[in-house]
Amino acid sequence: VICGSILARSGSLALEGKDGALVPTSPLDRLVRKLESITELTEHERQAVLSLPITTKDFRSDEDIVREGDRPWQCCLLVEGFLCRYKILPDGQRQIQSFHVPGDVPDLQSLHIPVMDHGLATVSPSKAALIPHDAIRDLTHAHPNVADKLWRDTLVDAAIFREWITNVGSREAPARIAHLLCEIFLKLQAVGLTKGNSFDFPITQSEIGDATGLSTVHVNRSIQKLRAEGLIVLEKARCTIEDWKGLKETAMFDPTYLSLKVEADAA
Amino acid sequence: VTLQMQPTRLAADDSDGLLVFSDAGLVAVLVRLSGLHEQAAGQWFLEAGFGELDRHKHAIFPDLHSAQNWIAERIG
Repeated sequence: VICGSILARSGSLALEGKDGALVPTSPLDRLVRKLESITELTEHERQAVLSLPITTKDFRSDEDIVREGDRPWQCCLLVEGFLCRYKILPDGQRQIQSFHVPGDVPDLQSLHIPVMDHGLATVSPSKAALIPHDAIRDLTHAHPNVADKLWRDTLVDAAIFREWITNVGSREAPARIAHLLCEIFLKLQAVGLTKGNSFDFPITQSEIGDATGLSTVHVNRSIQKLRAEGLIVLEKARCTIEDWKGLKETAMFDPTYLSLKVEADAA
Repeated sequence: VTLQMQPTRLAADDSDGLLVFSDAGLVAVLVRLSGLHEQAAGQWFLEAGFGELDRHKHAIFPDLHSAQNWIAERIG
């Protein structure tokens, strides 16, 4: 239902692929699709976004795109794959601070905050479109409404961080992981990258542990529990939600913080 | 440091446990990971650490010998 409405609005910009997912004709369609999941774009604004100059680049799994301390001169729009933002402590422990799906620009803040206070890396083989800061700055000056919408995107980003603080600090292990799955499912669904209740999930148990503050043993126990309760099936880097209502209840999940324009739901 | 091990049973899927005592008292609870953990099955997990070991919550050991050495090094 959601795919249909976006297709109609995007006109010829995106095509239905053979697996039911949208196949963008330009990497920037991903950004348009993402922004349209949380706000409205006029045709004029959409064309302005689609006119941004980009350089596409392929990355291997577990490759840094931007490192802590870097001073980037461009932003990274994720086109395919999964990214994470992370910090490594002096004792070697890694805290994953967020996961990102296609359409996200996780380092958009580098436009205004020159030095990276965290790193951005791939979780799986990924394709990114790199957009020069100057071009984004020109876009926001020429189209203040687009600037508002990018600002809204960073505010939603901040809301996701607040929810993660709550998740890591207050939910018990299975609920933390259930919450992460609910969030990734809705974020992917909002940009047309789910197939029914199923989606790509290349995130390893070790990465889930680094994101949720759990040992890999506790991650595995929790996933087995969610499986045993008939809530999810996780195999071969793919997650299928078997019981959306049950998973949301376990996670104590309220999607308000994602500010999705279309109230998405699993079947 | 002399460590004493006392087998115990945990009311969980990973049910094979060991209470590890030093002269000062209980320092760790180790559990042997069950078949639930696939590749890690049979390895020993520091389920809980006390005192000096309180900070080390994520350690996994291939066998009991390396778990004992690791604990002894840290509390010795």
